[in-house]
Amino acid sequence: MDDFNISILGPAFVAGLVVLSTHIPLGREVIRRGIIFIDLTIAQIAGLGVIIAYSFGWDERGFEAQMFAIISALTGAWILSLLEKKAGKHQEALIGIGFILAATAGILMLANNPHAGEHLRELLVGQILWVEWHQLFYAALISSLVLFVWNVFRQSIGSTGFYMLFACAITVTVQLVGVYLVFASLIIPALATVDIKEKYVTLVAGVIGVTGYGLGLLISALLDLPSGAVIVWCIAMMALIIKLIASQMITFK
Amino acid sequence: MHTKKAAVFILLVCLPGISQAALNVFTCEPEWAALVKELSDDEINIYSATTSTQDPHHIQARPSLIAKARRADLLICTGAELEAGWLPLLLRKAGNAAIQPGQPGFFMTSDYVDMLEVPTTLDRSLGDIHASGNPHIHLDPNNIIRIANALTQRLIELNESGSKHYQKNLEQFIKRWQQAMAGWSERAASLRGQDIVMHHNTWPYLSHWLGMNAVATLEPIPGVPPASSHLARLEKRLNHDDVAMIIHADYVNERSAQWLSSRTGIPIVSLPASVNFQQGETLVQFYETIIDALMASGE
Repeated sequence: MDDFNISILGPAFVAGLVVLSTHIPLGREVIRRGIIFIDLTIAQIAGLGVIIAYSFGWDERGFEAQMFAIISALTGAWILSLLEKKAGKHQEALIGIGFILAATAGILMLANNPHAGEHLRELLVGQILWVEWHQLFYAALISSLVLFVWNVFRQSIGSTGFYMLFACAITVTVQLVGVYLVFASLIIPALATVDIKEKYVTLVAGVIGVTGYGLGLLISALLDLPSGAVIVWCIAMMALIIKLIASQMITFK
Repeated sequence: MHTKKAAVFILLVCLPGISQAALNVFTCEPEWAALVKELSDDEINIYSATTSTQDPHHIQARPSLIAKARRADLLICTGAELEAGWLPLLLRKAGNAAIQPGQPGFFMTSDYVDMLEVPTTLDRSLGDIHASGNPHIHLDPNNIIRIANALTQRLIELNESGSKHYQKNLEQFIKRWQQAMAGWSERAASLRGQDIVMHHNTWPYLSHWLGMNAVATLEPIPGVPPASSHLARLEKRLNHDDVAMIIHADYVNERSAQWLSSRTGIPIVSLPASVNFQQGETLVQFYETIIDALMASGE
């Protein structure tokens, strides 16, 4: 039993670490701005990009499709950043509308090609168990760049820069682990650490994320259940447990 | 010390031999699991990645799936891009050289039949992913015979010691199958020339075999209702024509079939999409259920 576990779960665990590396800091910003559903919208827009690439005749798994996905995500993110300034408290509603517009645009574009529709809509939603090392390398590269820009240039890139950086990170990670895990990695550790003292936040959020992924993978192997879904629940459970522990040990700000 | 080393050495040498006692078969769909069970001996372990209530286009990845693929000696899937959404990923993840494309352990049943609905022109403005034709080939019993013949050859190639056994099983199966086919054709003779509506494109091979005409498809994209003009044309046409039934797979949501049925009075027939292999159903029983359901709606 255990001999296959490491080589199947290993890349999945590393994928989790790569996702957490950008989603923990970016997630804090998402919570701070109150734009919770932006990750779903960006993922959907990136998916639309792939559909557009396909309609031009490019291979949906090829380099051009990836470029279209990132460019669409960046464009969508840029538009959403403009909305932040104009819409104020209605921004979240507009993000939601953006989500359904992107999703239904995909349906309309594929309306006359039902077979294509079956595959293309799911193309950008990865499943963590399928992850391979070469995907991880590419994702780790992009994530390092995102982290570098975020840590060094945070002030100078401003709001628009945040949205664009976010779009890059999401487009990559959603193909690795899928939309539910992206949402969980972004929101749960960030939400659980809102009241924690600044200097401990990254540590506590990191512990939640890493134990969530690790435990989730182990349990999914033991019970033979779809790993992604189990990990989402474990991240949530770990957040509850660790928040309880942390609230006893670490003073609030 | 020497005896310990010798024992380990002997064990290592014998280990490959021990693991070859049983052939491990991994099928993508349950209909092929049911078929290989008919043709093989008890020394074969059969695992089907999907069940009769699952859409074979998608699969939720779980650890055991990859583990089973790793240990497989023979992979039997439909091909024709039915599993294009997940099989390539699974094959890469499993890293099992024996079942990669081109190897004897890689068997695609659609290679051995004449495909229906092969597009004559590839419309590349929106492309067409199912360029090889309609992949739901198991619904024509003539295809089962062709595949059974080819599969037996492959089993013999992989395990020569079982060749007599496989040949015998094949002959017995073909005999039983042809008898059953004659029975079904006779029972279903009244269906010949009848018009039907299908929910999704799962059923062309069935309608082709039984001589029925599929006049319309209800929901081309799963979960997305057809365009209103399509519905209007459908309703108008169906109220004029004499359509016998609306067919859908039992795992599909009946909602749009019910919508059409309530407006036109055409009966709905719910059919199993594949063999319930996990519960021990056989191919013959699966076809019996289909014929029973089709004939029952006529009454």
